[in-house]
Amino acid sequence: MKNKILLLIFLTLSLGAKDNNSVYNTNCIPCHEHLPYSLQKIYMLYLKTFSGEQTFKASLKAFLKEPLEETSVMPDEWIENFSVKERTTLSDKELDEAINSYWELYDVRNKLH
Amino acid sequence: MRSTQQTILSNYAHEQIQKLRELHQEFPKNSTYPRSQDFRSAIYDIERLKIFSTLDDKDIDFTKRFYRKNGIIRLMTYLDDYYLGAKYLFIEIDEDTNWYKSVIIDILTLGTIFLIIFAIFGLFFVKIFLDPMKNSIRLLDDFIKDTTHELNTPISAILANVEMMNLDIMSDRNKKKIARINVAAKTVSHLYHDLTYLTLNHNRESKNEWVDLKTLFEDRVEYFAILASSKKVTFELDLNYSTIFIDSVKITRVIDNLISNAIKYNKRNGAIEITLRKDYFIVKDSGIGIESEKVNEIFERYTRFNTSEGGFGIGLNIVKSIIDEYSLKISVSSVLREGTAIRVDFLKGTVDEK
Repeated sequence: MKNKILLLIFLTLSLGAKDNNSVYNTNCIPCHEHLPYSLQKIYMLYLKTFSGEQTFKASLKAFLKEPLEETSVMPDEWIENFSVKERTTLSDKELDEAINSYWELYDVRNKLH
Repeated sequence: MRSTQQTILSNYAHEQIQKLRELHQEFPKNSTYPRSQDFRSAIYDIERLKIFSTLDDKDIDFTKRFYRKNGIIRLMTYLDDYYLGAKYLFIEIDEDTNWYKSVIIDILTLGTIFLIIFAIFGLFFVKIFLDPMKNSIRLLDDFIKDTTHELNTPISAILANVEMMNLDIMSDRNKKKIARINVAAKTVSHLYHDLTYLTLNHNRESKNEWVDLKTLFEDRVEYFAILASSKKVTFELDLNYSTIFIDSVKITRVIDNLISNAIKYNKRNGAIEITLRKDYFIVKDSGIGIESEKVNEIFERYTRFNTSEGGFGIGLNIVKSIIDEYSLKISVSSVLREGTAIRVDFLKGTVDEK
């Protein structure tokens, strides 16, 4: 059941990749918005683990292309409940675009005051 | 001091990390970077890009954990969990110069206290060690002082009576005896005057006046003539007119002592040459002389040329003290077994230039 949900998320992500202006919006949000762990929270988790922008993006991209339990930053409870996601079907370019949008959306530098 | 400051900054860093952790959890509901009145801080990510900073000096050195620069002290700390993406946390405070001042004050205070303690101990021990020496000197001085007081009346009586004696009616044998009494009395009288000067008059105020040295030399030579004749010592005087602005008692002590020594340490049938010029005089004897290495010691109190002659060894010490008081220059040239010449040069301004 869990695997089916994840598959559905990433299929949606892959299909929505046609729209260049909103790869992130069409491929990531629709699935994640129904999950108990928000994209904001996942962002903060990634940030706490990888720190810098390039490291963050490279790690996320590597994970989306080759999701493994060992490389997942999600808590054990999450892995137990939802398992790891399916491998992405997005192209490198689309993936980069989606990750850039994700980074910019939640970048703490612009929000700290 | 450095470790104390480092500890303070480490505590601040720990405090800031706790606040960053809380902010990370509350973000983005709370997006206010934690600030403190005690310190300034900055966070940088793993790629050394700034996340947020409240530092005054934006120039960051990632190679040093703790350093001072332009009046600030800075500590760099690594975060294990990258809260808000921060890998590096910098804590900065203004360099406190108060510690430096307080250290200087502490050093000065402790130094002064130790100096006073050492000085007190030093004085205490010096007093213990010097007391026996001072007692000996005081004993000798007291003895001389007491003796001096008792000498004046008998000597004056002897000299006055010898002067008043009618030598014409005396036999030659008695005349010789009276001459010997006269010599002996004058020797004691000379010693009396030295001792009086040393123990009683030394600190008296000088009464400077223009003293005619030619007349003074003639007078003193006449006074010592009987003493000189007892050793068959003759005077050879080469005196030019000279005056000096000085205390007459003191210059008399100088001349008396030089002549007295020239007689005392002369050989029988010897001669004393006295030369007086406008700005110097020389008293030269044909006596035993002084060894060259001992020339410098002759002005020390209780030092005598040799032990064959009597005396306390205070004469030249008196001469030196007077010479020093008037900034005159005294020089001694002596050849063993040939004689000694003592030259006294007057300071410019003390002699009459007319």
